[in-house]
Amino acid sequence: MTRKANRQPARTVLLTVLAGLLLFSSLMIGGGIHGISTFDRSGYTTEDVWSWTLRLGGEAETLYREWTAPELATLPEAEQAGAARAARRLLAEAWHVNETDLAEYTDAQVWKLLSMTYSFSRKKISSAGRKSIAAIEDPAEAGKQMLSVLAAGSGIAENPALSGLSVLEGADAAMTAQVFLAARNENATVLSKETSLAFTRAAGDEEKEIEAMQAWAAGTVSPLNAWVTEHARTVILLGALLMLDVILLFILLRQEKSWRVDLKWMLILLIVDFLVVFQLLPLVYLLIRAFFPSGMFSLETFRRLYTYAMNWQALTNTLTASACTMVLGTAIAYPLAYLVGRTNLYGRKFFRSLFVLTYMVPPYVGAMAWLRLLNKNVGTINLLLRGLFGLRITEGPLNIYSLGGLIWVLTTFYFPYAFITISRAMEKMDPSLEEASRIAGASPFQTVLKITLPIMTPSLIAGALLVFVCAASCYGIPSIIGAPGNVHTVTTRIIEYYGLGVKGINDATGLAVFLILIALVVLYLSDFVMAKKQYVTVSGKSTRPAMVDLRKWRVPLTVMMGLFAVIAVAVPFATILTTSFKVDVGKSLLEEGNFTLNQWNALFRDESLGCLKNSLLFGAAAATIGAVISCVMSYLMQRTRIRGRKLPDFLITLGSGTPSVVIALGLIMTMRGQFGVNIYNTAGILIVAYLIKYLMMGMRTVSSAMSQIHVSLEESSQISGAGWLRTMVRITGPLIMPSIAAGWFLIFIPCFYELSMTTLLYTSETKTIGYQLYQYWTFTSQPQACAMAFGILLFVVVLNFVLNRLTKGEFTI
Amino acid sequence: MAKVTIKNLTKSYGTAQVLKSLNAEFQDGEFVTLLGPSGCGKTTILRLIAGFEQPTSGEIWIGDTLVSGGKTLLPPEKRDIGMVFQSYAVWPHMSVFENVAYPLRLKHTPREEINERVHRILSVVHLEQYASRLPNQLSGGQQQRVALARALLARPKLLLLDEPLSNLDAKLRESMRFEIKDLAREQGITVVYVTHDQSEAMTMSDRIFLLNNGEVQQCDTPSEIYNHPVNPFAADFLGKVSFFSGTAEKGQILLPDWEQRIPGREGDPAGPVTVGLRPENFRMEKDGQGIPGVISRMYYLGDTTDYRIRVGKAEVRVILDGASHRRFQPGDTVRLEILDRMVFAGADVQDQLKIRT
Repeated sequence: MTRKANRQPARTVLLTVLAGLLLFSSLMIGGGIHGISTFDRSGYTTEDVWSWTLRLGGEAETLYREWTAPELATLPEAEQAGAARAARRLLAEAWHVNETDLAEYTDAQVWKLLSMTYSFSRKKISSAGRKSIAAIEDPAEAGKQMLSVLAAGSGIAENPALSGLSVLEGADAAMTAQVFLAARNENATVLSKETSLAFTRAAGDEEKEIEAMQAWAAGTVSPLNAWVTEHARTVILLGALLMLDVILLFILLRQEKSWRVDLKWMLILLIVDFLVVFQLLPLVYLLIRAFFPSGMFSLETFRRLYTYAMNWQALTNTLTASACTMVLGTAIAYPLAYLVGRTNLYGRKFFRSLFVLTYMVPPYVGAMAWLRLLNKNVGTINLLLRGLFGLRITEGPLNIYSLGGLIWVLTTFYFPYAFITISRAMEKMDPSLEEASRIAGASPFQTVLKITLPIMTPSLIAGALLVFVCAASCYGIPSIIGAPGNVHTVTTRIIEYYGLGVKGINDATGLAVFLILIALVVLYLSDFVMAKKQYVTVSGKSTRPAMVDLRKWRVPLTVMMGLFAVIAVAVPFATILTTSFKVDVGKSLLEEGNFTLNQWNALFRDESLGCLKNSLLFGAAAATIGAVISCVMSYLMQRTRIRGRKLPDFLITLGSGTPSVVIALGLIMTMRGQFGVNIYNTAGILIVAYLIKYLMMGMRTVSSAMSQIHVSLEESSQISGAGWLRTMVRITGPLIMPSIAAGWFLIFIPCFYELSMTTLLYTSETKTIGYQLYQYWTFTSQPQACAMAFGILLFVVVLNFVLNRLTKGEFTI
Repeated sequence: MAKVTIKNLTKSYGTAQVLKSLNAEFQDGEFVTLLGPSGCGKTTILRLIAGFEQPTSGEIWIGDTLVSGGKTLLPPEKRDIGMVFQSYAVWPHMSVFENVAYPLRLKHTPREEINERVHRILSVVHLEQYASRLPNQLSGGQQQRVALARALLARPKLLLLDEPLSNLDAKLRESMRFEIKDLAREQGITVVYVTHDQSEAMTMSDRIFLLNNGEVQQCDTPSEIYNHPVNPFAADFLGKVSFFSGTAEKGQILLPDWEQRIPGREGDPAGPVTVGLRPENFRMEKDGQGIPGVISRMYYLGDTTDYRIRVGKAEVRVILDGASHRRFQPGDTVRLEILDRMVFAGADVQDQLKIRT
């Protein structure tokens, strides 16, 4: 009874508040739409025009008030009237209208409009005129005189003092006059060039400019109106988000049948909002844009794209390369994971760290190394093979610039993904499952075949699919290996189309849809596999992992493993290192005069250091925000039973499955202000992109750590009298701290050397080392790029070491 | 069907010696329990017998075959033994039937025979109706029985059980004890059973190997270990016991805490001694000739009543039948008569009792 009585008012209050918020959000949306439609009636495509008109107008006001008006006041009355007439005539001329059309404007307005009109970059003074202006010694005096001349209504040529300006026509003269007037004083406010340029750019053409100015003069553009219009989209966006939140909250509360609002829900909703805006919106927009290129449903984009042979080639290349990489990578990763995780192979730990290390290496570094090794003319391995077999050929036998080469490099750099997934599962598997098979009479080989492999199948498939997605969405490797050999992939085509400008973007979108499709299919498949066949293989009590004694195979297998490690890891890295010291890439490092430290010195120039600073900054920002979100999400996932806690998790997983290039493209197309957020060309867009792509790595780490901390640890702290916050700070926090650190690094490292997204999103101010390296490779020299690549490698290795120390050996990446 | 002979078996991991020179002989058809606190080396012995671990030194013989020792290490699958793991190790990707049939499938046994034998063994462990289920649809006890059926199906000479009941709830554990014991007896298999649960060891074993710190403390029948433990550890690990230090002299033992002397016996050690008294080995009356004491606390447990009696400066634990609680009240003065006691040389037992894990 009492409970019900208590609940009732809470429910009423809450529902009232929710209804209020709903009303408020619809007001926001309505207001925003009204703002935009007002704005649309004026015929502009972006609200920038409004704000720039307003700013330009403000500057014109100041100029008029502080300079033009006082100067005019010094003139005799007759001249004032003459000047006003002249100004009116000039404005009419500039706007291509009759003077009578300007009757509604006051003289002051005409002066202001005139200065606004002539401030545009379009109204260029002729070069002859510019020279004459430069020749004038006393600009201030000249300006004053010019104004007088204008006011008198006579031609400039008649004034002997200004004969040098005779080439100036009326319009130019008027502007020059204003400029000179303004130049009288160093502190004079003139119409700033930036504002004028921005206004011109926003308006698009002369007619729109004039229209905007007319609207301004007519007072249609009030500051409030302008503010609303400028922020209309933001307001609509916020309103829509609020509405979404309220509706979600209502649904959740109804399901929970509890009418108490929890802080946790607010957190979920905030994260959902973030993901909806920065992840879902770009993705959906991309899809819409691809299928509705001009507002109408049309498959024109696809028809155009896929009738082009090169695109088909790119598609088949992507699929072939990814599939081969997947098969090859998994086939390599499984035995490696088994040997390293389950046998008494010599140096297991060393091999393990070595393969995991490759996981942290930027993929394009591998591409560069293999390029040096397998170049068909001067590749080291090719030279070696020719020497070995006495081949008298100048090309081959191997060629990196081929589909095979692409697959090989993709494999060497993506097999660690499968390796890590599989070996994690292998470590978790209860060894007594295998022992039971041995006891039942199965040989070790039969046991692997009948017990280990089937039990590992889900993680095997998950690992394989991960490799597939990574290979399909990789840009770094194909851009370095594929493109020069005319082996195009979808990602390289997307970037090429993007480079073509507006029209290219449509085509890039069409190709991106293909990648999204792959990602979605794979995501669905792996979810399906994992859900269907998730065996509980974790035993209650931890058992010593049973080590299979390799006996007579121990040495041969270790040698084979070592050989693989040398080929896949040591040789490429050594190549990068030696190349970084070379003057001429084609020659041996030991040849006279072919050794230099120039490349390494260049790394410490301002340009590289600036990029390093950016990389560190963006990476750290993404990692820190990511770590916070990871903690919140992990808490929600592991410690609460709130419905809908899976929703952000799903979105985060979706984000990490989306190819980098697609994320970047989506952000470019949606974050320019037309949806209320404008972070285009800022560091913000890079950080957001990094977060979407790499957040999951951090979240999974923290979340799994939290799942291992039994709730009773927290509960006993609460029983001891600690509040929720103190429990978090004193008990849970310290326990999961290593994982948070690991999560931070897991987000930081890939962001640190990111290339695919950065290529699309960087500006000259936000260039990162990943892109700098790419530029070195493409435009400077290979040794320079190699020096940088090895520098990055060292940095990442050191970071990994720090992480290892920080977490007391619990984590390496 | 098989005798297991273990000679001078040791096992070390690096510098840590987990098993110090074990000599043992398990008779054909015998039910042997390796009992001890966790970390005492009992699972290591089992894994050595199974062939999962190589001995650091020593030999293991099963029947007339040397299976481990010197350079010989017969792989587990060649040893013809059955084993039930603590985690059951029921393969999650196979049905109950397939799990159990696995050993036969490996031997390419004809299909009809597999069917027949699997169904028979499943009926023995009461799992017939679950044959087609997957392990994750079974309860812990059912999974445990799948593991048992699998281990028994191949008719091994030797069955190894590694704490198979520790993950079950109390009631099920008790009933499974008898089931396992009966099955083993029916099949006439030699069983080596590892547990840390003394009542499990007591009820099931023909012989108990009591282990601590990698060493056999005592090896005997349950009643012999219970009644004649060789050291305080053995006395303490099986059953309940209270220890009191004293001095043996002139056919009597002086217990300073009790402020009493109790009569000695032939064969008792002399000098400083430790007297171990099991709470059930007392007779308690309201008056009589016994040692005087006062009931300080009493706990009624239904089948028994647990008393704490203050004797001098000491507190003595006495357990009588349940009904006795009607006769006594806390604060009553009582007389205690000692029916049986153990005497160990040395006054300080705490060191020997320490269970190193």
